[in-house]
Amino acid sequence: MSEKLNQLSFIIGVFFILVALVLLIGYATTASLKQGINLYTGIAMMVFGLVMVKLKA
Amino acid sequence: MNLHFADYLVIFIYFVFVVAVGVIIKKKITSSNDFLNSNKSIPLWITSLAFISANLGAQEVLGMVASGAKYGIMTVHFYWVGAIFAMVFLGVFMMPFYYGSKARSVPEYLFLRFDEKTRALNALTFAAMTIFSSGISLYALAKLLEVILHWNFDLCIWIAAGIVMAYTLLGGLTSAVYNEVLQFFLIVLGLSPLVIVALQDAGGWDTIRTNLEPQLTHAWKYMGDADANPMGIHFMSLIFGLGFVMSFGYWCTDFLVVQRAMIAKNMSAAQRTPIIAAIPKMFMPLIVVLPGVIAIALTKSALDSGDYRIPVDAAGGYDYTMTLPSLIAHYYPSGLLGVGITALIASFMSGMAGNVTAFNAVFTYDIYQAYFFKNKSDKHYLNVGKLVTLFGILFSIGTAYIAASFNNINDFLQLVFSFVNGPLFATFLLGMFWKRTTGHGAFWGLVAGTLAAAITHGLTIAEGKGGWISPVYPISSGMGQAFIVASFSWIANFFTTIAVSLITKPKPDEELKGLVYSLTEKVYGTEKRWYLRPAPLGIILLIITILLNIIFF
Repeated sequence: MSEKLNQLSFIIGVFFILVALVLLIGYATTASLKQGINLYTGIAMMVFGLVMVKLKA
Repeated sequence: MNLHFADYLVIFIYFVFVVAVGVIIKKKITSSNDFLNSNKSIPLWITSLAFISANLGAQEVLGMVASGAKYGIMTVHFYWVGAIFAMVFLGVFMMPFYYGSKARSVPEYLFLRFDEKTRALNALTFAAMTIFSSGISLYALAKLLEVILHWNFDLCIWIAAGIVMAYTLLGGLTSAVYNEVLQFFLIVLGLSPLVIVALQDAGGWDTIRTNLEPQLTHAWKYMGDADANPMGIHFMSLIFGLGFVMSFGYWCTDFLVVQRAMIAKNMSAAQRTPIIAAIPKMFMPLIVVLPGVIAIALTKSALDSGDYRIPVDAAGGYDYTMTLPSLIAHYYPSGLLGVGITALIASFMSGMAGNVTAFNAVFTYDIYQAYFFKNKSDKHYLNVGKLVTLFGILFSIGTAYIAASFNNINDFLQLVFSFVNGPLFATFLLGMFWKRTTGHGAFWGLVAGTLAAAITHGLTIAEGKGGWISPVYPISSGMGQAFIVASFSWIANFFTTIAVSLITKPKPDEELKGLVYSLTEKVYGTEKRWYLRPAPLGIILLIITILLNIIFF
């Protein structure tokens, strides 16, 4: 885990996964966030984040 | 604009991550070289994205969107004329000297190639310029948060500066570079949805072209007559002023960006850093110019586009600087609004951190170590580097208030760059490719160039700025004025350097090996595959750039 934390791609990936979760959970649970643009951006950021986490340094 | 809990959460996550990056990297910082130069250990993909991100600060993002709204598609010249060619030139021709000379900074290269006084002049002007740029970033963010969120201007400045200080003090240059890469992805992913929805709202590119004045949708067509285009300049001024003088002056000699290539692992990676960076740079207008063009189309035209308008200032004119924040406020719902605001905050922070880390390297190596304490321990210079970081941020806070009197941040920044960078490329061009150039020639050339810049600015007036000697020559835009100022300063430097060099004694050839083109052994073919070599990559990029110019002619 310590090694992974030193990889920038891992850090960036985790960041975008967290931001995607905020958008997707917000879309699912909150009326003011229930807009298509939040859903699509959340999915795109989730995919990008997972790819970055999986990347090897 | 009111933020939802989700928006604050996204901003909070970003703050936690940038400081966490500093905490993680802190363990690796054991020497001044680690803190100020990243120990030349950064992978190519990171140096390349950091290279482009160092030029993607708040003033770039807000300023280019503002220019897109003000000057239309002509703003792409800052990319397709004013960046790609110079980045390729840097990678192919200049990086071998910067990296091969083992210089730790651009001013140190000037010391090795010329002499102490040339280094001192460059180091001092560069230090002043980075503090100015850093202050402008700070001002841009504070103004943004004050206007759209009604947060206290002074409080924004101090809190934001405090966070930048935390991660740059902890992790030094590596921390700044890592956060620049994070910022790059945040800006691209955070602003892409805005471009898509706004473009859709405006009816697509074809509708925009139909409804806007043609001067705003053609890059070159109206540049044959300075009075016929919104930037108010002739294409020759643009090509020489922006495409040659300012562009090469910035991308090839500004330590802020060159530093990102100098920390690459080896020569091959250092050469490819600006060339790989040119690929995303080429397409960056989609993110930072197109929104401005869309905004002016929505505002001006009779499109059935909802109620979006560019905000107006107190005088009733368009407040172009607020174009991007107003688009975000208009199109982004809660959640994504936090992402958009965070992208802007990130661009500010990285812009400021980039300037501060370049400032502390130059100040520590080229001013403090060179003139005050030459032979101290490495720990001493590490501590000085950290102290300089602290003072750099405090000076930035002071300069932030100076920026408040300009309504277009980009114009102001280009003007500052033209004073300092305009003449500088002539010094490097002659120094690297003409072995007869002397230290006296370089020094007096720089002095003459800077004086010429000041005099030209004093004799020209644009948008109420300049003309402080006598407003002899009016120019219709601040941007056009900056190009002309830069051009005159370059010419003054070029000819003064040649004249003084011819009457002063040059360094012996032995001392110039590795610093001058004709006296440096050419190393070809270290990479066997063509796509890993800088020259073939550069040629492909130049062809694509020319094609883009033709498409948007």
